Amino acid sequence: MDAILKTENLVMTYRVGRVDVNALRGVNLSVGRGEFVSIMGPSGCGKSTMLHILGGLLKPTSGKVIVDNEDMAGMTDAERTDTRRRKIGFVFQRFNLFPTLTAEGNLRLAEQIHGNGKKVVDEEVRREVLRLLRLENKMRHKPLELSGGEQQRVAIARAIITRPAIILADEPTGNLDSENSEIVLEMLQKLNRELNQTIVMITHNPEAAAVAARTVHMRDGMIVGEK
Amino acid sequence: MDNLVASNIRQRPTRTLLSVAGVALGVVLIVLNTGLVEGMLNDRIKRERGVGAEIRFGRSGAMLSPSSSNPVDVRYADRLMKIEGVGQVSPVGYYIQSGNSGLGMEIVEGVEFESYSAITGAKVVEGNAPKTDQEVMIDEFKALHNKLKVGSDIQVFGETKKVSGIYSPQVGSRIKMPLSALQNALSAEGKCFEILVKVKDPEKQDDVRQRILDELPGNEILLTRDLGVGVGREIPGIKGFVRAVLVLSVIVSALVILLAMYTTITERTREIGILKSLGASKGFIIGVIEKEALTISLIGVLVGLIISMIAAWALERATTLQLEFTWSWILRAGLIGLGAGALGALYPAIRAANKDAVQALSYE
Repeated sequence: MDAILKTENLVMTYRVGRVDVNALRGVNLSVGRGEFVSIMGPSGCGKSTMLHILGGLLKPTSGKVIVDNEDMAGMTDAERTDTRRRKIGFVFQRFNLFPTLTAEGNLRLAEQIHGNGKKVVDEEVRREVLRLLRLENKMRHKPLELSGGEQQRVAIARAIITRPAIILADEPTGNLDSENSEIVLEMLQKLNRELNQTIVMITHNPEAAAVAARTVHMRDGMIVGEK
Repeated sequence: MDNLVASNIRQRPTRTLLSVAGVALGVVLIVLNTGLVEGMLNDRIKRERGVGAEIRFGRSGAMLSPSSSNPVDVRYADRLMKIEGVGQVSPVGYYIQSGNSGLGMEIVEGVEFESYSAITGAKVVEGNAPKTDQEVMIDEFKALHNKLKVGSDIQVFGETKKVSGIYSPQVGSRIKMPLSALQNALSAEGKCFEILVKVKDPEKQDDVRQRILDELPGNEILLTRDLGVGVGREIPGIKGFVRAVLVLSVIVSALVILLAMYTTITERTREIGILKSLGASKGFIIGVIEKEALTISLIGVLVGLIISMIAAWALERATTLQLEFTWSWILRAGLIGLGAGALGALYPAIRAANKDAVQALSYE
């Protein structure tokens, strides 16, 4: 399978006071185009750090991070921001929607940032995404007027509306009850299947991880296995 | 409007209101002060130009700053009359007191009414010219605005005097009293501030001025037609005052916006992290914050202008102060308001743009 995301010997060392903390110790990961991969591991194993590096929010200490043929490790902050804008969509545990904007406003903002001020969104894709996520009737609501599951679906719509190469989801069901978790996981599966969307998802939950085609296990900043 | 800038402005009404008030205050400071300066100067210039005397004779260096010092010896009047081309002279004394409403200041003129009337054409239209030291005369404008009539009480020199008459047209200051009474009150017998000189042939006023300069050197001789040319340069301190008001306005507006935006940025740290995760560039984030500040500033400018107009209307009704608004100052006040807002928001905006995305996202 053609790899859309690849890390080579990824190392991340934080300096906390006078102590070096090795968050990642040479991670090699390859994700194919259209693949749904989950990453599991105990707290502090480096999952979130890796997700932040994959999304260009952090710069690794060493190693390579190749996203859709672009090595983000050697990029400046501005270049990583630009790559993130064009190729990556984030979904967070706490939804991270703008509370003052409606669901529609949140999507429009993402579109505006993605288009760098120009209108670049395919209305057909937009309709399809809203249909898949069953959000057609929720667009005029502000986040606080929506349930947790609905908020997370809006957050997923925001991440996918610009058709990024990869969706990076950080514990997307961590703040949801089991019913809403199921709905959100089903949505992610649908997006993966029907839109061939590449998804990398971090989770603690083995049931959530099970919806992915492949699960990668991490421990102490390293990949220790996958199935 | 469902965009980030508009929704943030609506979402934080107290912050928005305070910021608008800060910018509006700056605009009011500029518009009212410059309006007052322009209005008072132009009103005075108009009335001074209307006196009918082509030449003003006074003490060198004292002519441009009206004061109660009255340094000119009235005997110069006789010497001036003897100069070829001089048709009429009239000594005028000054006393400066605070405005009757407690705002601004007003000049009380001491005149020899006969010679003054001969030069200016001022006529008593109601009552009569003052005959005692306890009487003064006012013009129609002051009578109308201060609701005064013949027989009314008026405060001059901190004393209550009677209005003996109302004169027209509006020339010179709005309150006049006999020159001898003013000299007595100021213990300045035989002194005046300036001597008005009417020439026989206005075409030859330059020649007459030169002759006065030649015959009475060491004095200042102004042509009335030159009054108002470069007002800012003529009145000492005016330019500095206006500049100080401008600087103060910029500081007030910029500081208010800076504090408001700085607080907002701290409150919205997490939102800035979200913007970064969506791929927003530093320029985009700075743009969002600057647009917000500019929108608030624009509202502040409009509110400031409206308040200024209302305040001007109220001031003109309550006092004899004249305010004059010019488009150039309104435009400058608007630009200063917007500029100060943009400037004040710049530092918080840059700070926001430079925030660490991961830390911002985990901000509680």
